[in-house]
Amino acid sequence: MKKSKSMMIIFLAPAVLSYLIIFLYPSVRTAFMSLFKVENITDAVSKWEYVGLQNYQGLQESSLFVQSMKNLVNIWFFGGLIVFSMALLFSVILTSGIKYKSFYRAIIYLPNVVSAVAMGTMWMQYVFSSRYGLLKGVFESLHLTTLTNIQWTSPDMIFISLLIAYCFGMIGYYMLIFMAAIENIPTSFYEAATLAGANIWQKFTKITLPLLKDVFRTNIVLWTISSVAFFIWSQVFSPLNPEPGTVTPMVYMYQMVFGNNMVVTDRNVGAGAAVGVILTLIVVAMFAITSKLLKSDEYEY
Amino acid sequence: MRYKMNKKTAMLPGYAMLNLWILFTFFLIGWIVVASLSTTSGIFGGKILSSGFHPSNYSKALFTHNVATYFKNSMLYTFTACTGVILIAAPAAYILARYKFKFSNVMESVFVSALGIPQIMIILPLFALVTKLNIANSRLLLIILYIGINVPFTLFFLITFFKTIPKDFEEAAAIDGCSPMKTFWIVIFPLAQPAIVTVTIFNFITVWNEYFMALIFANTSELRPVAVGLYSMIQSMRYIGDWAGMFAAVVIVFLPTFLLYIFLSEKIIAGVTGGGVKG
Repeated sequence: MKKSKSMMIIFLAPAVLSYLIIFLYPSVRTAFMSLFKVENITDAVSKWEYVGLQNYQGLQESSLFVQSMKNLVNIWFFGGLIVFSMALLFSVILTSGIKYKSFYRAIIYLPNVVSAVAMGTMWMQYVFSSRYGLLKGVFESLHLTTLTNIQWTSPDMIFISLLIAYCFGMIGYYMLIFMAAIENIPTSFYEAATLAGANIWQKFTKITLPLLKDVFRTNIVLWTISSVAFFIWSQVFSPLNPEPGTVTPMVYMYQMVFGNNMVVTDRNVGAGAAVGVILTLIVVAMFAITSKLLKSDEYEY
Repeated sequence: MRYKMNKKTAMLPGYAMLNLWILFTFFLIGWIVVASLSTTSGIFGGKILSSGFHPSNYSKALFTHNVATYFKNSMLYTFTACTGVILIAAPAAYILARYKFKFSNVMESVFVSALGIPQIMIILPLFALVTKLNIANSRLLLIILYIGINVPFTLFFLITFFKTIPKDFEEAAAIDGCSPMKTFWIVIFPLAQPAIVTVTIFNFITVWNEYFMALIFANTSELRPVAVGLYSMIQSMRYIGDWAGMFAAVVIVFLPTFLLYIFLSEKIIAGVTGGGVKG
């Protein structure tokens, strides 16, 4: 094919330009900004005061930021455990040749296409409501007094409620990816295992899981990316002020730079940038770790 | 059949869970819809079915609580951004899929890496930039941002597709004397329609539900899209006290993507798992 240089430039330029303006320039500037004390977000670079790693040290000393990192780790670890195991369970059941597979699959994936604000509101204002809530009603009709009396939106329960609601919506997406991978595994593998007398559990652990290694790697990276961006659900579950049970690093940063309440009083845009750098480094680190630990073996089916 | 189901009992807890899950989802959405047609006192009294039929909640949500404005804004942002992102990403994806040049692989990876950059990493300089250029709080700004942040994903999705189109099409067009640029718009672009439709559905859902950028860059009520509008409504709920109206707003916000999903769920699901582009 004949190369046309002018065509290449005309076709690539808008995409490259948008990348430079919306991703590259801001990322580089945020990285620099995290090393400076910046009073106002619109301050020119000449007004920035170099402070080295002080912004990062300052974050370490902020109890709300430390709490937000703890919440992030818990969302990532426990949420990941719940989402991945449920997604795997559902994908194994749905690929076992059951009836109405596409119906089940479509309903489980559904929360992913609905606005998180709308989903969060449904959970917060209905499922967890202490006055007319779904959980309260169900437990009451089963005469489970202890469970009925749980205040799902109280400060000591809010994190668990938040996690349950968030995971409910995320399972469908990971289930789809697992399902596609399982359906790619040749049935002859399972037939051979059946002939050799393997039971369901052995087939799952000896055939399915090892062959899902690549997919696990992708899913862990995707899960990390969505965890560090955890924001809407925190906002919907604490609509007025960030609370220790729901605060995440992104909420903390938002309050510090753009917020108008008294929860985060020290207004330093540089520290906000440092939060961004930390979250980006977490994603990069997870990418590197999973690439190393779950090295892809090339299977040809 | 991957797991022999002669031992169905082993899977029984799994089936039970699956059905409970489906039931819960239906009940959740069903209750919200019924509550949105009920009254606030009916909701609090646990009598949403017997409190009468009140479609007026919807007109209250739309006009008293401004949801109509948010809805119009979201429509505008979504349609223009979805069109814009295709016009920018499709030609670039074509070049990266078809032409090998010095940095083509590097360029592809650089674009893909943007999928891992958290929005928090780019938001501060963008805010400073738009304030300096004095374009904060405008519809155009949000559209430009929505186009920009969705370019990497769209590009990534379309590159995979363009690689599957045989080169014969371009060769035939070249013999007919069609210039490469014209060939793309007249021959290749229409061929890519299935992939463009799929990626546009995803972009539609992303932009419709987008929250963070709008929260920061659409600071006035007239500019807000539905997600931020609904949130501001929830925030002021303790003063408004109109729970039925709030649930009506929830229904209005989730309806467009929900309907899209009802009609296109197979295409969307196939797109997630990479099989949707085979046309």
